[in-house]
Amino acid sequence: MEKQQFDFIGKNFDLKNIGKVTGKEIYSSDVHIPGQLYAVVLRSPFPHAEIKKVDYSEAEKMGAICLGPNDVPNILYNERIVSIPEKTYRDRTVLPQDKVRHVGEAIAACAAETEEEAFAALKKIKVEWGKKWPPLINLDEAKEANAPPIYDYVYLGEERVDINNNIACERNVEVGDIAEGFKEADEIVERTFNTQRVYHMQLETKSAVCIPEADGGITVWTTSQGIHNVRILLGNIFNLPLSKVNVKRITIGGSFGSSIQMNSITPICVALALKAKRPVKLVSSREEDIYDHAKYPLRTTLKIGAKRNGILTAAHCRVWVEIGGHNIQAYPYLGCVAGWFASLYKWKKLKYEGTAVYTNKVPTCALQGYGNPQINFAVECLMDILAEKLDIDPLELRLKNYVGKGDEFWGQGPTVRSIIRSCGVEEMLIKGSKLVGWEKRTLPSKKRGEIRKGLGVARGFHTSGTGGPNLGEVIDYSSATIKINEDGSVDVLTALMDVGGGTWDAGAKVVAEVLKVPYDKVGIYNGVDTRSTGYDVNTHATRGVYCGCGAIKFVAEKVKEILLGYAATLFKDLPDNLELAYNDELGQAIIYPKGLPENYKTVDEIAKTAQIKSWGTMAYTGSLRQKNCPPCFITHFVEVEVNTKTGEIKIPRAVIMGDSGTIINPDLWEGQIIGAFSRGLGFGLLEETKYSSITGNLECNGMITDLKIPSSVEMPKIDSLTVQSAHTYEPTGPFGAKGIGEAALSSVASAIANAVYNAIGIRFYELPITPEKVLKALEEKEERSEKIAD
Amino acid sequence: MTKLKIELMVNRKKRKIEITPSTRLIDLLRDDLQLTGTKEGCGKGECGACTVIMNGELVASCLVLAPQADGAVITTIEGLGSSDHLDPIQEAFIESGAVQCGFCTPGMILAARRLLEENPHPDEEEIKRGISGNLCRCTGYQKIIEAIKLSIARLSKSDSGKAK
Repeated sequence: MEKQQFDFIGKNFDLKNIGKVTGKEIYSSDVHIPGQLYAVVLRSPFPHAEIKKVDYSEAEKMGAICLGPNDVPNILYNERIVSIPEKTYRDRTVLPQDKVRHVGEAIAACAAETEEEAFAALKKIKVEWGKKWPPLINLDEAKEANAPPIYDYVYLGEERVDINNNIACERNVEVGDIAEGFKEADEIVERTFNTQRVYHMQLETKSAVCIPEADGGITVWTTSQGIHNVRILLGNIFNLPLSKVNVKRITIGGSFGSSIQMNSITPICVALALKAKRPVKLVSSREEDIYDHAKYPLRTTLKIGAKRNGILTAAHCRVWVEIGGHNIQAYPYLGCVAGWFASLYKWKKLKYEGTAVYTNKVPTCALQGYGNPQINFAVECLMDILAEKLDIDPLELRLKNYVGKGDEFWGQGPTVRSIIRSCGVEEMLIKGSKLVGWEKRTLPSKKRGEIRKGLGVARGFHTSGTGGPNLGEVIDYSSATIKINEDGSVDVLTALMDVGGGTWDAGAKVVAEVLKVPYDKVGIYNGVDTRSTGYDVNTHATRGVYCGCGAIKFVAEKVKEILLGYAATLFKDLPDNLELAYNDELGQAIIYPKGLPENYKTVDEIAKTAQIKSWGTMAYTGSLRQKNCPPCFITHFVEVEVNTKTGEIKIPRAVIMGDSGTIINPDLWEGQIIGAFSRGLGFGLLEETKYSSITGNLECNGMITDLKIPSSVEMPKIDSLTVQSAHTYEPTGPFGAKGIGEAALSSVASAIANAVYNAIGIRFYELPITPEKVLKALEEKEERSEKIAD
Repeated sequence: MTKLKIELMVNRKKRKIEITPSTRLIDLLRDDLQLTGTKEGCGKGECGACTVIMNGELVASCLVLAPQADGAVITTIEGLGSSDHLDPIQEAFIESGAVQCGFCTPGMILAARRLLEENPHPDEEEIKRGISGNLCRCTGYQKIIEAIKLSIARLSKSDSGKAK
C-alpha cells in the first residue's frame, strides 16, 4: 500500500515528558492526601504454612488500624480479568484465609500516623501458625503424587475444580497428525530448553493510595496498566456499585506486565482505608515487590522435522511452567505460548501440550512477551540446530518456513486468530544480514584465540492486541471521549494507560492527524479516571497503539463529522464539499470549500462561534474493538565475544530490524527496541531470581544488585547498535500502524544463544548463559575432545 | 519522639525543618518539602532513583539521614530547571527520547549534571561509568547516553557564550 503523507504521525515533538524531566510528574507513590495514614504489610516468613490465628490486639492498643484475614471480604477472585470469566481461574482472597503459599505473601497489615508507628505496631501482631510444609521449589517435585497439595480446589469461572498433583491447569492443541508429519521428515531434531524466573524490576514499586469518600465510595490511585479492571475488581470485592469506585489514571513508573493484574497491595490499602475511615497510603518496599511477581519460567521439549530441502513437516511441543503460589493467568499463558509457537513457522502439523504447576514461590505473571521470549528461545535455537544438520544457512531455513502475509496468526492463543496483512520478515532478514555482514560469518570450528567472536540470528514477533474476527477468550476494546474546546483545542479522555512506551503521545498525534489540530493543542495527559472514561481493557499485549489509538482514531473521526457539520452551517454548504487541513503557516487547523483554500475559516473560529451561538460542544464518546491481531515482527542479528578464560560474554555489535507498519513515535519506537534489547541481554546472560530449597526464601534478600539487572555498561556502543524499520503498512491499523513493545524482546536471548554457539561451538539449553556455565561447558568440551584424542 | 532542628539549603532556598533523628534525607525532601521529583526505587542505595546532589557530590538520598544534611547545600531535580526554563540536560533528555516511564529520569539527569561538572567532555565509556549507578529498566540507556552527548555540545556552547 502507498505511504500516506502525514502532518503529525511519524514526527518527533519536544513537548512531551516535561513533567518527567522536571520532577513534576506525579506517580501513585507521590500522591499525598492530607490526613493520610501510612500502611505497612506483615508478610509470611514461611513458604507453605497454615494460619491458625492472627492477633493484632496489641497493635491496635498502639493506635494502629489493623487488618487480618477475618477483616477482608471472603471473596475468591483472580486479580487479572482480561480473559472472559468462564476462562478465569480464581484462587485468592485479599488476605489468605487458610494458609500462606509462598514466603512474602501478605498475612496482615497496619496503618498509622507515620510509617515508623505502623512498623512498630506491625511487630506486635502475633500469628499462630499451624502445620508447616517444606517448600515445593522445583517443578518436578511439585507435581509428584506425594507432594503436599498447595490447593485442594479452586474455581474456574463459577465451576469448582479439584487440584491434583498441584497441576493448576493444562492446555493441549493439535493441528493435523504429527506422526504422519514426522514420517515425511528426512531430519528430526529434539531438545529440551529451560528459561528462568526473572523479576520485572520496574523502577516504581507497587503503590496505592485510597480515600474513603463520604458517600461510602472510594477514590484510588494505584500502579496499574488498566484502571477499569481495578475498578471492577474493587467493586466486586468490597460490594460497591462501580459508580462509587473511582480509580484515577496516573503515570506509572514502569510495569512490563507486572500491573496487568490488580496489584496485591491495592485491595489491602482499600480495606484499611475503609476500616480506618481515613485516607491510607501503601508503598511496597523493593523487597516486598520482588516477593510479589516474576516472569513465568518455561521448560520446553521441542521436536521438529523437516525434509532435506528444509521444508518443515511437523512439530511437537511439550511445555511445563511452574507458576508459584497463585494462578494469575497460567491458562491464557499456556494458550498464548501455543500461539507464539504455532505462528513462528509453518509446521504443517503440530501438537502442543502445556501444563502449569503450582509451587511455593512468588506468583508469576506476564513480563514483556507473555511466554514469547521463552518459547522463542526453544524454537529459534532448534531451528539453528536443524539448519546445521541439514547444512542449510540459518537465514535460508527461516525464509523457507516463516509464517507471513496471507497466513494465519494466533494473536492470543488458539482462540484468537487473524490473517496477516502486513509482513516485513523477508525484508528484515535480507537487509539485516547485509547490514551485519552475515556472509562473512565463519563456522565455530574456524574460531581461534582466547576471545572468540560469534554471529547469531533469531526472529520473533508479538501480537498487536488480542482481537480477532472471532471473540475468543479475551476481552479487548478501548474507549475515548474527544471534544473540541471553545478555543479549538482538543481534550482526549481515555482510560488507555501509557506505561512509558509513548501511547499517549501516539494518541495525541492520531487526534492531531484526524482533526488537523496542532499536536500541542491536544490534551491527553493526566486528569482522567474511571468515572470520566469508558472502559479500556488494559495496556497489555502490545495493544496500546493498534487497539487503544485505533479507538481514539475512530472517535476522532466522529468528532470530525460534527466539526464539518458545524462548518457547513457557517459556510452554508454541505459537509462533503468542505476540506479540513492543517495550515503550517497559521499553525492551525482550517476548513474551506473544496477548491477554495483562500476562503478558509480556522477551527478555532468555528469552535468559538459554536459556543457563542449555543450550538453545543463538538464531542463524541465511543468504543472500538479491533477485529484483527496483526503481528509486529522483529529480527535480531547479534555479535558476541566469548572470553574463553573468564566465560564472560560481551555484545560488541547488533543489528535490529523491526516491523511496526507506520511508525507513529519514531524516537520512542527505537527507544523501545533498544530498551528491550537491554532486558533481553539481562534475560539471556545475567538475570535470575533463585530460591533456597530449605526456607523458600529468595536468595537475593531483596537486593537488586544480586538480580544482575543490566546497567549502562553492559550495552554495546551506541554506534554499534543499528536499528532499522521495515517498509510496511498495516491496513487494519490506525494510519497503518501496529505495535512494537513486546515484539522487541522476543528474540534477543535466542539470537545471543545462537551467536554464542557460533563463537564456541557449544549449545546452551538453559538461560541465563552465565560465565560459570560457559566455563563449565568449555571444560567439558575439552574433556570430551581429549577422550576422543585418547 | 524528640525532634531535631536542622537548617539546609535546598534548591537555593534556606529551609529550617524539625525532624525526628531517624528521618532519611529522601523523606525530608519528599514528605516535608513535597519535592517528590526525588524517587524511591529501592531504599538501599542500589538503583539511583533517589540521587540528589549534596555539597557538590552525588548521594543516594535514601542512605543519608536527614541530620547528616544539617548545613548542607542540596540540589534536587526541581532545582535544575522549570517547565518554561529547562536546563540543557533536561532539554536534551526530551529531544533524544531518553525518557520512557520517567521514574529513573530525575536521578539520571542529576547524575549527568554532576558528571558534566566534573568532566565537561566525557567520552562514551566515561558517560556509561558516570551513570552506571543509576538503573533504568525502560530505555536500555542508549538514548540517555545520546542525550548526555547532546548536552555536552550545548553546555560547552553556552559556556563559551558566557566567556565572551
